[in-house]
Amino acid sequence: MAHEATHDHHDHHHAPQGFFQRWVMSTNHKDIGTLYLIFSLTMFFIGGSFAMVIRAELFKPGLQLVQPSFFNEMTTMHALVMIFGAIMPAFVGLGNWMIPLMIGAPDMALPRMNNLSFWILPFAFTLMLSTLFLPGGGPAGGWTMYPPLSLQSDSLAYVVFAIHLMGISSIMGAINIIATILNMRAPGMDLLKMPVFVWSWLITAFLLIAVMPVLAGAVTMLRCWPAR
Amino acid sequence: MAVVLALGAGIAQADPHPWQLNLTRGVTTWSGEPYFLNNVAFGVCVVIGVLVFGAMFIAMFRFRKSRGAVPEKWSHNTTVEIVWTTIPVIILMVLAYLATGGLVSFANTTGAQMTVKVTGYQWKWRYDYVDYLGKPISKVGFMSKLDALSDKTRQLGSGLDPYAVKTGNENTYLLNVDKPLVLPIHTKIRFVITSDDVIHSWFVPAFGWKMDAIPGIVNTAWTNINVPGTYRGQCAELCGQDHGFMPIVVKAVSRADFAKWLAKQEQASAPAPAAPPAAASSAAAPAAAASAPGGNG
Ligand SMILES: [Cu+2]
Repeated sequence: MAHEATHDHHDHHHAPQGFFQRWVMSTNHKDIGTLYLIFSLTMFFIGGSFAMVIRAELFKPGLQLVQPSFFNEMTTMHALVMIFGAIMPAFVGLGNWMIPLMIGAPDMALPRMNNLSFWILPFAFTLMLSTLFLPGGGPAGGWTMYPPLSLQSDSLAYVVFAIHLMGISSIMGAINIIATILNMRAPGMDLLKMPVFVWSWLITAFLLIAVMPVLAGAVTMLRCWPAR
Repeated sequence: MAVVLALGAGIAQADPHPWQLNLTRGVTTWSGEPYFLNNVAFGVCVVIGVLVFGAMFIAMFRFRKSRGAVPEKWSHNTTVEIVWTTIPVIILMVLAYLATGGLVSFANTTGAQMTVKVTGYQWKWRYDYVDYLGKPISKVGFMSKLDALSDKTRQLGSGLDPYAVKTGNENTYLLNVDKPLVLPIHTKIRFVITSDDVIHSWFVPAFGWKMDAIPGIVNTAWTNINVPGTYRGQCAELCGQDHGFMPIVVKAVSRADFAKWLAKQEQASAPAPAAPPAAASSAAAPAAAASAPGGNG
């Protein structure tokens, strides 16, 4: 919050903008990169607190703090939050910040889509984390949500939809990065002169586009499993 | 003498003990196989680790610039490339050969003298004795679930001490059941393993393997126990809220004792088929009631 406030103050001299305009409507790759990094840090603390619940319960033999079902919810939520909420947005945030700077581009190729791919994430995670407060509790299907166990979570549909949203966000981010790297390099910056970070993101972006539809299809098919 | 006794007890119980560094060797004709394979693979890792890190440290300390080391001019050496390609290929082929042998002998359930059907439930096991020494067994089967003392102790806020859950000298918190699976020693036993609800996994470390219990699929595995004793294991595939509370206990006894036990079981189920199931269901009732709210949601 303090970080955002200083930025707000700093920019005030150049272009008078409200907080909402400055951060929610931004198409600036650095602003969006910052948003990604702040989001990632927040999710890191939330996912970390789930791990703390797990570790606190395991601190000594016997059950002291939580019921086993809630313990399992913590395991699954920790996995989903850490991978989709902390690791991936952190990498995307660094990509947003660094790729245009490293290849000499003025901004990302598709700045409005950049804004959209970030702002899908808070909604996706609100949806997913809200399952913890629903009557059936959050998903409790282990790290990988394999069936049939994951089908016993009442909140599976919420989680599947949240993963769809995260997938859409990732695919849009990947398209944006590929378009930026392939089209917006400064003169003289040919592919083999690109920094290895940019190369790693180019490969990762192609992998994301290949993998995300498959993941979305797999989690959707979880709902097609015959109910018991 | 005390050491020998302790060692004997360790083999008979086969539970991990403090400062145990390696896997258990197990107590069956086959269980030495994964133990041996692990030791071979670990030995290879140690040798590679010593060579690689040794070379690194020698390079870093003896050939540092401050000691006047001057880099060589050559950049390619065909002999070295051939050597460091051939050696890993040989290592991998040896490991693959050994591991394949282990898998083939693991999967070979032919010539079994006895068959036991294992079914996973949320959150207990069912054992049905199918045949023994060529003769079919009828109606010998039972549910096996967490013992009452462990179950009471493991409730949230029970205030009971898990270390106080003991069988003899052994701490058996979450490792004891009401009715163990009784098996004869020196008998090749085929297990057919399946599940009624979600995926479980039947794992007794002293047998050297674990096998997934999957609804709609029957998996097979076998064992031939050499040493009488009590062997404990657990469900090894997350199966819901009480996954940690459905242990496995195998009591391996001599063939004579097993024949006696089996005759008693058959007698108990033969004359009054209605009585034992009723007794079993009333005994299982508190557990069923306790697990009902979360069951099959
Ligand atoms: Cu299980």
